[in-house]
Amino acid sequence: MQDGSGRIVVQNLSKNFGNVAAVQNLSFQVEPGSVTGFLGPNGAGKTTTLRMLLGLVTPTAGYTTINGQPFSHLGNPGRVVGAVLEAQGFHPSRTARNHLRVYAAAMGVPDQRADEVLNLVGLGSAGERAAGGFSLGMKQRLALATALLGDPQVLVLDEPANGLDPEGIAWLRTFLKAFASSGRTVLISSHLLAEVEQTIDQVVIISRGQTMYYGMLDELRKSQQSRVIVQPADASKLVTALQEAEITNIQPMPDGKVAVVGATVQQIGDVAAAAGVALYGVHEEKADLEQLFFRLTSGQYAAPGMAPPAVPPGGYAQPGGYAQPVPQQMPQQMPQQGYAQPGYQQQGQQPGYQMPPQGYPQQQPGYQPTQQYSQQYPQGYPQQGYQPQGYAPPGYAPQQGTPPGGWGPPSTPQPAQQTPPGGWGPPSTPQPAQDPTAPPAPPAPPPPPSEQEQQPGQGGTGGNA
Amino acid sequence: MGRLIKAEFRKILTTKLWWALLIPAVGLALGWAWLSAIAFTDVASDITDALDVQNVSDQQLSLSSLALTRAMNFATLFPLVFGALALASEINRKTITTSFLTAPNRASVLGAKAIVYALWGLIYGVIVALAASLGVLIGTGNGALPEAGDWILILLSGVIACVLWTLLGMGVGALLGSPVATLVIVLLYAALVGPTSEFIITLSTEGSHIAGVMPNGSANGLTGSTASELLFDQIQDIFGSQIGPLTDKQIDDFDTVVRIAAGAPGAFSLWVSGLIFLGWTALFFGTGLIRNQRRDIT
Repeated sequence: MQDGSGRIVVQNLSKNFGNVAAVQNLSFQVEPGSVTGFLGPNGAGKTTTLRMLLGLVTPTAGYTTINGQPFSHLGNPGRVVGAVLEAQGFHPSRTARNHLRVYAAAMGVPDQRADEVLNLVGLGSAGERAAGGFSLGMKQRLALATALLGDPQVLVLDEPANGLDPEGIAWLRTFLKAFASSGRTVLISSHLLAEVEQTIDQVVIISRGQTMYYGMLDELRKSQQSRVIVQPADASKLVTALQEAEITNIQPMPDGKVAVVGATVQQIGDVAAAAGVALYGVHEEKADLEQLFFRLTSGQYAAPGMAPPAVPPGGYAQPGGYAQPVPQQMPQQMPQQGYAQPGYQQQGQQPGYQMPPQGYPQQQPGYQPTQQYSQQYPQGYPQQGYQPQGYAPPGYAPQQGTPPGGWGPPSTPQPAQQTPPGGWGPPSTPQPAQDPTAPPAPPAPPPPPSEQEQQPGQGGTGGNA
Repeated sequence: MGRLIKAEFRKILTTKLWWALLIPAVGLALGWAWLSAIAFTDVASDITDALDVQNVSDQQLSLSSLALTRAMNFATLFPLVFGALALASEINRKTITTSFLTAPNRASVLGAKAIVYALWGLIYGVIVALAASLGVLIGTGNGALPEAGDWILILLSGVIACVLWTLLGMGVGALLGSPVATLVIVLLYAALVGPTSEFIITLSTEGSHIAGVMPNGSANGLTGSTASELLFDQIQDIFGSQIGPLTDKQIDDFDTVVRIAAGAPGAFSLWVSGLIFLGWTALFFGTGLIRNQRRDIT
């Protein structure tokens, strides 16, 4: 019998398609009353896992239960679980209302429920239109309407934001939170943490079919690694000094600053003082979740010889190997890769729907200078060795101190304003020292992580969204 | 199960396929019955004239039963197509995902589909039977019509053939999962490969029953046996009364010729053919069902 709990259990789940191990020994639980994000790059096995949960794909090993029962024992599953799956079909010439009435009949709910859910998802006026003429976003809404038809206790959504407009995404977030807070269960998959970060409480991150992280999102936040941003008078001198002090995880930053990982502000200050390098600014930054997500899931496609996953066309990270990991150095460079990535390279290629409407017009100004800047780095700039002589290419100096105008869009309070270069998330701790070259941060309310900076997951997986 | 049956009916009635196939089915049955009834009536009177039969009127050679049979037989292609698309197009359009998600288990979806499509096969069969009857009535004019009992038996076997063809098509569609592949295969087989090969086999094996064991052959036997037996009896009567008792060889030859004329070369009798065809339907339907019980819906 069903226990009525609304709990989803995935236990030691594996699935092989021929020789391809799509899912390997996956285990997690989804508790009622919470929204759980199921995250991983494309091809990580998310969809396969959800389809096994829903009885559509037979596992090679392991099992899944909903309400303590496998899907096939739910009786009338449409009343227990609603699912929005990728590539869920509609007969092209059947109207939206008729589509819903078919499945209303199948699960034994009254026909008027079809109209209710149509109105709920905002398709009330499109009920008599054939689903074949729907846009992707409308199809997603119709799929959601179908999932809600049976007023289920558990909602499973596979990339539900695909094709949704900003309004639709915002609505979906609110809806899912409300749905979960009524004591029901939501499992939502995405390849973009940013897309679901504000919605989810718990997170399961998988990569290559295996669990990389499973737990509360807050705990994941706490585990973030921080880095120290230093603005020295003489970068190359400081770098040499730091290296002598065996602090080697150093990255140049676009505006003459240096990012140091694995050292405290005090240590760096001491080294700088000993070396006689003046520091104009030092502050600690926490990497945002997106970067952590990226680190957890990157490498899926990073076989030697392949293009590094981080590099989309024309991106910030591209020129000159500045931020690109050299394939054989991949393991050590993972964190750096994570740092160097976020934000920039994504902006040019992101479909608009993933950003709030006010977000994208403002990206361009910031984007251009960055690109120019990074192009001034000599090609083949060695990342790890950090050779000082390679650090000051012609044209570098003028850039120094020039606020690259675009990080923080000058006007209108919007989430990205406090974003320092590099697409960092809003720092979760107060910054010890404000960078003088940073754009003026208008007194914006501490915003939710902005859409603008949260896209690396996509680039990180080779952009095969 | 009742809920799923209702859902299946809604699936059919909210799309156009059912009437898009029914219209040509009716047209073909009516037209074919009409035209061939005219032709066969001519042939019948020619035969009786040539034999110069004194006491036998052409009333006794009801060749128009062939028209009825063959019209029904051809029209079974449409319920076949209808059935072939039942599951294959759901798999192709991915609506099968939602269908499986809203049903207790896969077997219940397929079971409900089988029931609903059997009913639709029946609906097709009855409408096609009426159209074919109308065509024969118009086309035969003053010629000889089969007796009511034979007529009904021919129609009944035609209706059963429609139901079984629908289910067989559904089974093949479930097995292949692709509407295009399913349609190509069932249509090529039922309209071309099956009839041709059965004709050749029957001729080359001198009237053996090999062809009657095949899917299409047994289906033809189901629809064609009644008419061919009827005609065979009539011909035997006519010749028997005129020329004297026939040899076994002659009887066999007549039988073969009449069965070919009825579109059922090498077929067994009505009941045996029906059972063989039922077996084929069960085979395809069953394997299709098992295939979908295990299919990963991705």
